[in-house]
Amino acid sequence: MLTYSRKLYVLFGILAVILIIASGCSTGQKENSETSQGEGREIKHELGTAHVKGTPKRVVVLELSFLDAVTKLGVKPVGIADDKKKNMIEKLVGGPIEYTSVGTRSEPNLEIISSLQPDLIIADAERHKNVYRDLKEIAPTVVLKSREATYQETIDGFQTIAKALNKEKVGKQGLAEHQKQMDGLKSKLPKNEKRTILLGVARTDSFNIHTSSSYDGEIMEELGFKHAVQSKEAYKDVSLEQLSEINPDFLFISSNEGHTIVDDWKNNPIWKNLKSVKNGQVYEADRDLWTRFRGISSSEKLSKDLIQKVYGK
Amino acid sequence: MNVSGNRFVIFITAFILFIAGIGLNLSVGASHISFAAALKSLVVLDHSKEQLIITTLRLPRTLIAVFVGANLAVAGALMQAMSRNPLASPQLFGVNAGASLAVVASIVLFPHLNAFSSVGFALIGAATGGFIVYSFSSSGGMTPVKLALIGMAVHLFLSSFTQGIIILNESAGDVLYWMTGAIDGSNWQDVSVVLPFTIIGIGLAVIFSGAVSILGLGDETAKGLGQNTKGIKALVSILILILAGSSVAVAGPIGFVGLMVPHIVRKLAGENYKFVIPFTALFGALLLVYADVLARFIAFPYESPVGIVTAVLGTPFFLYLARKERNSR
Amino acid sequence: MKKSLHIKHPYMMIIFLFLVMIACVIISMGYGALYIAPGDVLKNLFGISGEYQFIIQKYRLARVILAVLAGAGLGVSGAILQGVIRNPLASPDVIGITKGASLAAMVVILIFPAVPLIVLPLSAFAGAGLVAVLLIIFVRKKNARPSTIALVGIALGSVCHAGMQYMMVKFPGDVNAALIWVTGSLWGRNWDEIKLLAPWLMIFLPILFFLASKLDLMSLGDELVDGLGERSARLRFILIFAAVGLAGSCVAVVGSIGFIGLIAPHIARRLVGTKSKHLLPASGLAGSIILLASDTLGRGLMPPVEIPAGILTAILGAPYFLYLLKQEARKK
Repeated sequence: MLTYSRKLYVLFGILAVILIIASGCSTGQKENSETSQGEGREIKHELGTAHVKGTPKRVVVLELSFLDAVTKLGVKPVGIADDKKKNMIEKLVGGPIEYTSVGTRSEPNLEIISSLQPDLIIADAERHKNVYRDLKEIAPTVVLKSREATYQETIDGFQTIAKALNKEKVGKQGLAEHQKQMDGLKSKLPKNEKRTILLGVARTDSFNIHTSSSYDGEIMEELGFKHAVQSKEAYKDVSLEQLSEINPDFLFISSNEGHTIVDDWKNNPIWKNLKSVKNGQVYEADRDLWTRFRGISSSEKLSKDLIQKVYGK
Repeated sequence: MNVSGNRFVIFITAFILFIAGIGLNLSVGASHISFAAALKSLVVLDHSKEQLIITTLRLPRTLIAVFVGANLAVAGALMQAMSRNPLASPQLFGVNAGASLAVVASIVLFPHLNAFSSVGFALIGAATGGFIVYSFSSSGGMTPVKLALIGMAVHLFLSSFTQGIIILNESAGDVLYWMTGAIDGSNWQDVSVVLPFTIIGIGLAVIFSGAVSILGLGDETAKGLGQNTKGIKALVSILILILAGSSVAVAGPIGFVGLMVPHIVRKLAGENYKFVIPFTALFGALLLVYADVLARFIAFPYESPVGIVTAVLGTPFFLYLARKERNSR
Repeated sequence: MKKSLHIKHPYMMIIFLFLVMIACVIISMGYGALYIAPGDVLKNLFGISGEYQFIIQKYRLARVILAVLAGAGLGVSGAILQGVIRNPLASPDVIGITKGASLAAMVVILIFPAVPLIVLPLSAFAGAGLVAVLLIIFVRKKNARPSTIALVGIALGSVCHAGMQYMMVKFPGDVNAALIWVTGSLWGRNWDEIKLLAPWLMIFLPILFFLASKLDLMSLGDELVDGLGERSARLRFILIFAAVGLAGSCVAVVGSIGFIGLIAPHIARRLVGTKSKHLLPASGLAGSIILLASDTLGRGLMPPVEIPAGILTAILGAPYFLYLLKQEARKK
């Protein structure tokens, strides 16, 4: 037994030594965001307050809607969480762009973010709250809602980002332009437009509709349409039978790659009897633009796309 | 007590419930269609909207419930006979997990395939999962518990792969619904995919039910009676695979049907597989038809996967079985 | 031959495993977005050179230490369960404990996403504990057969699994985050998590090592153990409780990483034999090594993408496990 307990103590001892060395080393860390000499702005965000100095030039964005905002404000981020899909990023930005990928949006690589030496990080409230404490030690970090944001919250987020980037004026202008665009698009609707509208995602085996509380649903209502499904829950799976009950006047479909359930439905007389099908008001909606990108510019593009398809103007 | 008379009564009762279940299945749904109207639509051609709904949407769905329910139940019965393990079922033995993994992988890697090709993948996956587990059942000292634990380990392994694919593709939402086991998107094409497998699988199972009974007595006894155990086992394995694989391909991995139904049937109708197999098919179909109706009420008028209902019904049953296991040894 | 040599010198084997683990720790700290050679890792750790100090200390050291701790906890937990249930296939994942933790975590992630961070590990721990309590309730008889415990565990695991599926369909909010948690990952973990986990290890490990010799008696068979009467049942409960506590706290902190509790004891058994006083430390070390290796591969395979460690433990673990089983079956 003696040898055994000795073994045990040795094990614990070494473990303890490692812990001591390590903690000793780590407490020597200075936190760069705490030294607040000179001017700075206090930016309030979902998880606290960030202290940002000057005009950030090296920005890392960890969600697509933030990329949208940052681009609209005329800033090129040095790091983007792009899920390794450069094409998607270039689609959002509207052209080729140089940046460093920091990994997936769900698990961005902290080391790479750190190596980029950013002076501002913009993170998602839902996905990144676990690493907020790590992020803010790298650089002042602003945490905003992205995936769960309503249209209004996206606008607020845009303004917060503008403030963080020290581009409040540009931001205000951008918002004003956006408002003008949206008003312009709204005016293209005939007065008393009572027809209903709906977007659904066609998957291999199911059809998932976005209701009035989804991002695209809100934009549709913002433009003045009547959404076909009013609900507090943003997404619902429906059968063809239900779709025929809902029977929207305008139907937008985002399809997954490849074979989807709608391909099967197209052969069904019930599908052919849908108002939208009979009137030729079924349109394609790019899944990235309509549901993934979110953000101010994207909502404009989405709206333009919508109006163009429905009214041809 | 007249056993065969008993069986007859049970069969008739089950059959009546079955027909009622079909009626319910056809009439309950987002659009209100009464029982009578539903039956009428089956018979009289009037091109009404109701009839369209019934014939193009609900009828195939009901039929899928019938065939998949029967398939899974019979697969479970065959598995339980062959491995002499009361816990054997497509879900606990990695067959479902293997088939799911194959189908998810095929959706991600080859998105342009349709239902027919999915079956091919599902069969390969089911075979892989089932084979891994089964190859251990032949080794000595294999108690039911050991087999169940192996099945669980294989299930965890295959599910992790599936999870990995889903996570790395950020496509979780898209396949999760299906992965719980859902038949609400079924159409006639799905029916045509499953039907041949159902006919062949259950048909052969009924024909060879005598051999299955003998197999259930134990390898030694069976060989002593002159049975070619290796051959029968091979055949039964193939039947299990096509029954379970085709079901998963079309409806996703629906659990617990293969576990519960054979037990209930054996309690009511005895151990003679000449009766157990057809009864299991009927009861399995019955179970899934009613489960499908119940599934519609979880989030009415929106759909829910039927796998949730079978899980809710099945897990207490599973717990009961687990405790019974201890008493029987 | 080779095997009996190992068993003759179990302590040497344990020391050997320990050294392997330390080596893995050092190598593991080299992997990430930037590769750092082991020599440089050492220099940085001991303060001789400072180039990579930031990366190592900020991101990798804590993560690696957590892998060691969590892997050890899961390994020991598995060894205990296999001993108590007297079945080499038992482990926290198979008997539903990790599933219980996952379900609880999923409820928090999907329904209450706005709660403070600390709630998640606590609820995961509570979930694991709840399953353990249910396990004990359902296996009411004091001298319940071990296989019953396993079976009921599997059944409870299925309940939790069904519950999780229901949650994911009914609350499709952030299913991806929930799934990542369920798969288990060391991403974003650092000193806070270590502070959460370490106390539990410090409580349970000594208890278990102390009871280790008693555990060996249990493998001798029910008759002998029953001869000791009440004490055996109590012992069983304490052991299961400790094993669940260990596993629960590990899972609470890193998510439900599977297979470690299943495989580590097997590897340990082949190396040091079945005496608990050798088996438990060896299982712990083996568990640490497995988790370290999985996490390192996850980080190093395709940067900057990180593959969650839980996926790798399954991919590496399961085939190895099946191979082990085949070997044991062949022996018979």
